[in-house]
Amino acid sequence: MKKHFVLVAALALLLTAVLPAVAQDQTLEIYITGLTEDTIKWFNEVAFPAFEADHPGVQLEILTGGWGEFDATVAGWITTGDGPEIVYLGSEYAATFGDLLADLDPYLKDWEELDQFLPAALEAVTWDGHLRGLPLLMSPRPVFYRTDLAADPSVIPPLTFADALEFVKANSAVENNAMTRMGFMDIGSGLFDDQEFIAYIWSAGGELYNEDGTSAFDSEATAEALKFMYDRRRIMMPDETTAGLPPFEGVPIASGNVVSGIFPMWNMPATTDPLWENIVAAPYPAGENGEPLIQVFIDWLSVPAYVEDPALAVEFLKFITSKENAIELSKVAGFTPVRTDAWEELKASNPVWAKLLDLAVEYGRPFSDIRASAELRPLIREQVALYMSDQQSLEETQQMLKEEYDAILEDNGYLD
Amino acid sequence: MDVSAQARLENLLWAIGTAAFIVIGSVLVGQAAKMIARWRGLSTSDQRKVFWGFLFAAPWIIGFVIFVLGPALASLYYSFTDYKLGKEMNWTGLENYRELLLGAGAQGRRFSQAMFNSFYYMAVGVPLQIITSLGMAMLLNNQLRGIRLFRLIFYLPVILAGGPAALLAWRYMLAGNGGFINVTLQNLADSFFLFDWLYRGFIFTVEAFNSFYAGIAGGDPIGPFKYAVPALIGALVLLSIARGEWTPAKRARAWLVAELIGATIIVLLAARALVADPLDPGLLLGSGALAAAGAFIAHMRGETRRFHLWTLIPLALAAVGIVILMTFGSDAERSLYVLALLAAAAPLVLVYITRTPMKKRRLLGAGAALLTGIIIVRLIPGQLDGGRLAVLPQYLTLQSAIAQPDNLDYLNEGFAATTPAALWLYGLVALVLGGLSLADNRYPRTARTIALVSLAAFGLIAVSAAIDGVRYFQAYNQIAAATGEQNYHFAQFNAATAQWPDKNRVPLWMTNELWSKPSLILITMWSSGAGMLIFLAALKGVPRAFYEAAEVDGANRWQKFWKITLPMISPAMFYNVVIGVIAALQTFDTIYILRTPQTEDDLASAAFFLFNRTFRQLEIGQGAAVSWILAGIIVLLTVLQFRYNKWVYYEA
Repeated sequence: MKKHFVLVAALALLLTAVLPAVAQDQTLEIYITGLTEDTIKWFNEVAFPAFEADHPGVQLEILTGGWGEFDATVAGWITTGDGPEIVYLGSEYAATFGDLLADLDPYLKDWEELDQFLPAALEAVTWDGHLRGLPLLMSPRPVFYRTDLAADPSVIPPLTFADALEFVKANSAVENNAMTRMGFMDIGSGLFDDQEFIAYIWSAGGELYNEDGTSAFDSEATAEALKFMYDRRRIMMPDETTAGLPPFEGVPIASGNVVSGIFPMWNMPATTDPLWENIVAAPYPAGENGEPLIQVFIDWLSVPAYVEDPALAVEFLKFITSKENAIELSKVAGFTPVRTDAWEELKASNPVWAKLLDLAVEYGRPFSDIRASAELRPLIREQVALYMSDQQSLEETQQMLKEEYDAILEDNGYLD
Repeated sequence: MDVSAQARLENLLWAIGTAAFIVIGSVLVGQAAKMIARWRGLSTSDQRKVFWGFLFAAPWIIGFVIFVLGPALASLYYSFTDYKLGKEMNWTGLENYRELLLGAGAQGRRFSQAMFNSFYYMAVGVPLQIITSLGMAMLLNNQLRGIRLFRLIFYLPVILAGGPAALLAWRYMLAGNGGFINVTLQNLADSFFLFDWLYRGFIFTVEAFNSFYAGIAGGDPIGPFKYAVPALIGALVLLSIARGEWTPAKRARAWLVAELIGATIIVLLAARALVADPLDPGLLLGSGALAAAGAFIAHMRGETRRFHLWTLIPLALAAVGIVILMTFGSDAERSLYVLALLAAAAPLVLVYITRTPMKKRRLLGAGAALLTGIIIVRLIPGQLDGGRLAVLPQYLTLQSAIAQPDNLDYLNEGFAATTPAALWLYGLVALVLGGLSLADNRYPRTARTIALVSLAAFGLIAVSAAIDGVRYFQAYNQIAAATGEQNYHFAQFNAATAQWPDKNRVPLWMTNELWSKPSLILITMWSSGAGMLIFLAALKGVPRAFYEAAEVDGANRWQKFWKITLPMISPAMFYNVVIGVIAALQTFDTIYILRTPQTEDDLASAAFFLFNRTFRQLEIGQGAAVSWILAGIIVLLTVLQFRYNKWVYYEA
C-alpha cells in the first residue's frame, strides 16, 4: 500500500512539474474598455506587431470589456494585485484609484513629447502631483441640434437656460400621454444625467467644491441647474405617467423624433454621413452668472501600482500615444487625439472633427477632479431623481446632496 | 538566462512547490487525525484506517480551508474594519453593522431600501412564481399529443432567462411606448370593454400598492398603522382558537404563533442591542428574558427538544453579550452588565445540571424573574414613561391617539416619541398566546374566556389603529394642502390614487419606479420552468388510487386538488419555497442588466447593493458586513421555514 502511495505521489509530482512548463515570452497585457472589432483588429494586426518588432521577446495581448463591468473588473485586479500591466480609465478615475496607480514621473517627466498633450488632459491623469498614465483620447460632448427638424432653426444654438427651455418647448410633443417628439434627449435617455448635472452647475457659474474642500451643492448655481433640469423635464413629460418615445433602431439623433441632445460620438452617425449637414454642435446653455461650456472626457491609459517594473508599460504608452498612432486611431476608432500636433491633419481631412476640436478648444472643460466619484454618482442619481419626480423639494434636495457629499468627502479623507 | 527559460524554471518551481505542499499538508492532516484517534482510545488498526482515510480526503480539506473557510473568515474580519482599497485599514468594531442595520447615513438608507426591495421580491415574487410553476406543471401533467414539445417550450426560458439577449428582448417588449406587451394590452382594451376596466384596475392596483410600499420603504413614518398589524395577527389567531372546544391542536397553534413572534422579537432585540450606540445590554437582556419565558413554557408543556432550544438561546445571547461588552464596552459597562449577564445565565446553566423537574421549574422561574427585573429597570422607563401607555386605553375605547394632527414635527417625530414601540404589542400577543398554550383541558372555560376577552381587545386595537392610521395619513395631506407643499412621504401614493387611470394610460414597465419591480417579477415568472419541473415530478408521484377513491366519494376537482394534490406535492412546494426565497434575496443578474439610471435604486437588491459597495465603491469592509448580514437573514429564514414546516406531508 505504502509503495503504491509513494509511486502515485512521485508520478503526480513529476506530471505537475513537467506539464505546465511551457515556454513563455514576456507578456504585456493591455485592458481597454468598449472597443469595436475594427479597433481590436488594428491593435492586433498593426500596432502590436510594430511594437513587438522594436522589443524582441515581448508579446502584447489586448483584453477588452464594457463600461458595465468595468468597476468590478478593475477592482478585482487591484484587490488581488494581479492583472494587466496597462489599464484604460475614464476621466474621473485618477481620484478614485489614486495611489493604487504607479507614479510615472520618473519615466515621463523628461519626455520631450509631453508638451504636445493638452494641459487639461495631463491634469486629468495626474493624482497627488504625479502623472499616473498618459491620455489616449478625448471626447468632447457638445449638444447636437437637428436644424431640419427644429421648429425655428434660427434660434439654434440657445445659449441660456431660458432660451434652452423655450427651444425644448417649441420642439417637444406629447400625444395620448406619450412623447412623440423630444426637444432634448440627455445621454442616458432618462431626462437627467449625473455628469450633465455637474456640467450645468459649472455652466451656471458654480463649482462642486468650496475653497475649504467641502461640497458646494448648497450654492445658487446648483439650485439654478436643478431648476433648469426640472423645468425641461416637465415640458417634455407633463407628469410622471407620460410614456417615453417608442424604441428606435440606430442612433437617437437620426431617429427623426429627437431634435437635440447630448451624445458621445459613438452614439452619433459616422462623420461621413450626409446627415451631418443638418446637425449643429454647440456648447451647453448657461445660467445667469455662467458661461456656456462643453464637457470634455479624457480617457487614458494607466499603469497599476502592482506592476513590478513599469518601464516596459511606459514604453508602450509612449508608443501608442505617438502622433502617428493618434492619427491612426482617430481614423480607425474615431478617437479624438489629445495631442495638438495630431490635429492639423485631422482637421484638414474631416470638417466634423474640425468643428468639434474648435469647440473643445473654445468651450471645453475636462470632466476631472470629481472626488469620490463612485459614491457621488448614486447620491446624485437618488436625490435628483426624488426632486425630478416631485417627491422632494429643491431645498431639501440641495441640503441632502450637501450633507451626504460632505460626509462622503470626509470618509474618503478629502476634508481635514 | 533568457526570459523564456526563466519563465519555464518559475513554472517548474511553482509546480514542485504546490505538489510538495499538498503532499506534506495531507500527511500532516492524516497524522493529526491519527493523534486524535489515539487520544480517543481507538485501536491501532482503527488509527491506521483513520490516517489513510484523512490522508486521501486531505487535498479536499486543505482546498476547503484555503479557498472557502479562509476567505470567509477573512471577510468576517474585514466586516469589522473600514477596509477600502488603497486606504489604510482600521478596526472599527461594529460600525459597519451599526450603519447598515440602523439605516444610518446614506449607505444605511440605501441598504434599507435594498432590503425592502429584496423582501418585495420574496413576498410578492416567490408566491407568484410558485403559482405560475404549479399551474404550468398541472397543464403539462395532462396526457396530450406532443406533450414533450410543450415541456421543452415551457422549460426553455430557464436556459434563456439569464441571458443578456433575452433580457434585452424583454426591454424592447416592455417599452412603455410601442412595446409589444403594452401595444397588445392596449389593443385588447380598445376591443373589449370589460378588459379595458380590468386593465385600468390592474394599473391602479399596481401603482397604488407600489407607491404605498415605496413610501414605507423610504423610511417614512407609518404612525398608528404599526399597531394594527400585531393586533390583527393576535385577533386572527385568537379568532381561530376561541371558537368551539378547547383542544390540544388549538393550544399547539397558539404556542406555534407565540413561539414565532417571540423568536422574531428576540432576534430584533438582540440585533439592535448589538448595534446600538452605545451598546445596549438592556435589549440583549430583554431578548434573554423572552427566551427564558419560552423555555419555561416549553418545559411546562413537556416539550424537551424545544426546551433545550429555548434555554440555549439565552445562554448564547449571554455569551455573545459578554464577548461584545468585553471587547467594546466601557469599564463601567463591563463590571455592571457582565455581572448581570452572568447572574441571568446562571439559572439556565443550573437547569441543565439539575434533574428534578420541580427544581428546573423554580430555577427557570428565578432566571426569568431576574431578567424581567433587569428589563423593568432598564427598558420600561425609557419606553413607557410620559404616558405612553395611554395609547392602549384610547384604542380600546375607539379614540384617536394623535394629539396634534396639524403639527408636522409632531407627525414626523413627536408621535413616535410619545407612544410605545410596536414591539411591545407583539410581545403582548406572544404573551397571551403563550399563556393560552399552557391552559390544558382542566381549564377550558377559563382559556376560552381569556381568548375571547383578548380577541375583543386585539380586535378593538386593530380597528382603532387602522382608523387612526388613515387619520394620520390624511393629516399629512391636510398640512400639505394648507402649506402648498407636497406630502413628500406619500407623494407618489397620492398621485397614483388621485384618479382612475385614463384610457391612454399604460404601464411604464422599465422606466418608472412603480413598475420596475413588477417588471422584474414578470420576467422571473417567465422563467419558472425549474420549479415547474420539480412540481411535475411530484405530480407524477401522486398515486392514481387516491383520486379514484376520492371520485368514488363524490369529490369534485377542486376538492381533489386541495385534499389530495396539494398535500401530496407539499414536499416539492416546500423545496420550491425554500429555494425561491433564497434566490429572491440574492437576485442580481436581472437587475444588473435591466436597470436604468432612474430605476436602479428601486430595483437594487441586497446582493446588488453588496456589489456596488464592494466593487464600484471599493468599500470592502462594509461590503463584507453586508454579505454577513445577508447570509444571516438567509440562514434565519431557512431555519424558520424548516422549523415551521408542519404543513409539509411526507408520505410514510
